[in-house]
Amino acid sequence: MKVKVDATRCQGHTLCAMIAPRIFELDDEDGHSSPTTEEVPADQEDAVREAVRSCPEQAISIS
Amino acid sequence: MSVDNAVPDEDRTGNRYHFDRHTPEYRERFSDITQEMHARCPLAWSDTYGGHWVAAGAREVFELARSADKLSNDHDVTGDGSGYHGISIPAQQSSSAIRGGFLEMDPPDQRHYRQTLNPYLSPAAVNRWVPVIDELVRACLDEKIESGRIDFVDDLANIVPAVLTMAMLGIPLARWTIYNEPTHAAVYTPPDTPQMDHVRELQMQLHHDLAGHLAEIRRSSRPGLIGALTRAEINGRKPDDLELLGVIALIIGGGFDTTTALTAHALEWLGENPAQRQRLSGEREHLLDSATEEFLRFYTPAPGDARTVSQDCEIAGARFKEGDRLWLSWAMANRDPAVFAEPNRIDLARKGNRHHSFGLGIHRCIGSNVARAVFKRMVVQVLDRMPDYVCDPEQTVHYQTIGVIQGMRKLPTTFTPGRRQGPGIEETIGRLQGICDEQRLAEPVTKRTAAARITG
Repeated sequence: MKVKVDATRCQGHTLCAMIAPRIFELDDEDGHSSPTTEEVPADQEDAVREAVRSCPEQAISIS
Repeated sequence: MSVDNAVPDEDRTGNRYHFDRHTPEYRERFSDITQEMHARCPLAWSDTYGGHWVAAGAREVFELARSADKLSNDHDVTGDGSGYHGISIPAQQSSSAIRGGFLEMDPPDQRHYRQTLNPYLSPAAVNRWVPVIDELVRACLDEKIESGRIDFVDDLANIVPAVLTMAMLGIPLARWTIYNEPTHAAVYTPPDTPQMDHVRELQMQLHHDLAGHLAEIRRSSRPGLIGALTRAEINGRKPDDLELLGVIALIIGGGFDTTTALTAHALEWLGENPAQRQRLSGEREHLLDSATEEFLRFYTPAPGDARTVSQDCEIAGARFKEGDRLWLSWAMANRDPAVFAEPNRIDLARKGNRHHSFGLGIHRCIGSNVARAVFKRMVVQVLDRMPDYVCDPEQTVHYQTIGVIQGMRKLPTTFTPGRRQGPGIEETIGRLQGICDEQRLAEPVTKRTAAARITG
């Protein structure tokens, strides 16, 4: 599984980092999210799917 | 520019619904009205307040809130710009209208303000304050712990957000009492009453105090949000005092009553559901985050915002005309069964909770990280120190209407008394002032990364 955060959609709601803190890191200055890794480890796939569902801006995509 | 609320022709507004969120009936029948609108007209035209659109469905709210290129937040108080009326429906009286900071602006000005304030309000910035928040909560609970009685609104949920906001702004913490009362009372007091005249007097004192601090900080800068605003360049200009006072009033308005409202409602529900309270306390490590989001969804302290359509366009299946007014209901979108299974039930472990309580799009609540942190620290200490509290429904007072804030005025509670752990509020605020000054806690995270240390 690969994960991306669309920086033009992310508004810094921070739910992804609450749900999958190993996969999403928040910028210190504005709290916007970016993936720590493009390739999601198998044991994090469920958490990432949950982050996708929970994003208020629908800014996260997986492939 | 057609800012008069012309009633749209029938063919572009098939859905009509008489919507008045400022009536007590709207609060009492909220679930029914919401259900009816979702089923019949998730996007409707209402004839109230000069006529305006109402978006109640999650899909419609999502699409509209993320169309900032076609919807404006602008509040043109001088009347020489767009002529739009900002985020309130009905619009403020134009003679006394004050622009609600950057929430009533469009980019690029709006973006420049947020860029100025973000390094003070990001998750990393807010984390540094947690020891201060904990100490304030501790002191509030210690004031009451030996008596076995506390009003969770007056004695806790009003105080902590207010004192913390003072600290972050760079205003002496002890001034919180001047700011607290009018900020809450202005929301819940009915207009055109003698009580409102008193609230206006208190608001004058607040503005006088605030203007004094702004002037002082302009002369001699100190850490905090106000200092940052005095140094900010917004779209190539230096904003004047009136504009900055509007921005600071937005921070105060956003920082006080909303967090109070969320905390009071959550504590009321947990008091009514002691098994869920015990579960949250025992499983807080993996439930506190989801429970917080669920309380945010269900109680939606700030129930919505207005927009003005800035160009003829089609969004979410409706045809809008430039100048149309629109109400985006975060509160009703949060109960949409298309997104939230069993939307009228509180599920502390809810998954996929992409609620709208902090708004969506470029105007997302800039204080959301502060709100979450303050809420969580208050709830956790209450669970630890007053685990058997019982609220008194007879003496509980909710806001009569939920058009502006879904809030509470009183939540008196009894519990098994416990031992004090430290000094009371006044002494604690004095000590925290010293800590704020010495450690320069109100600096942005770009200048200071370390968390506060509670010393002495």
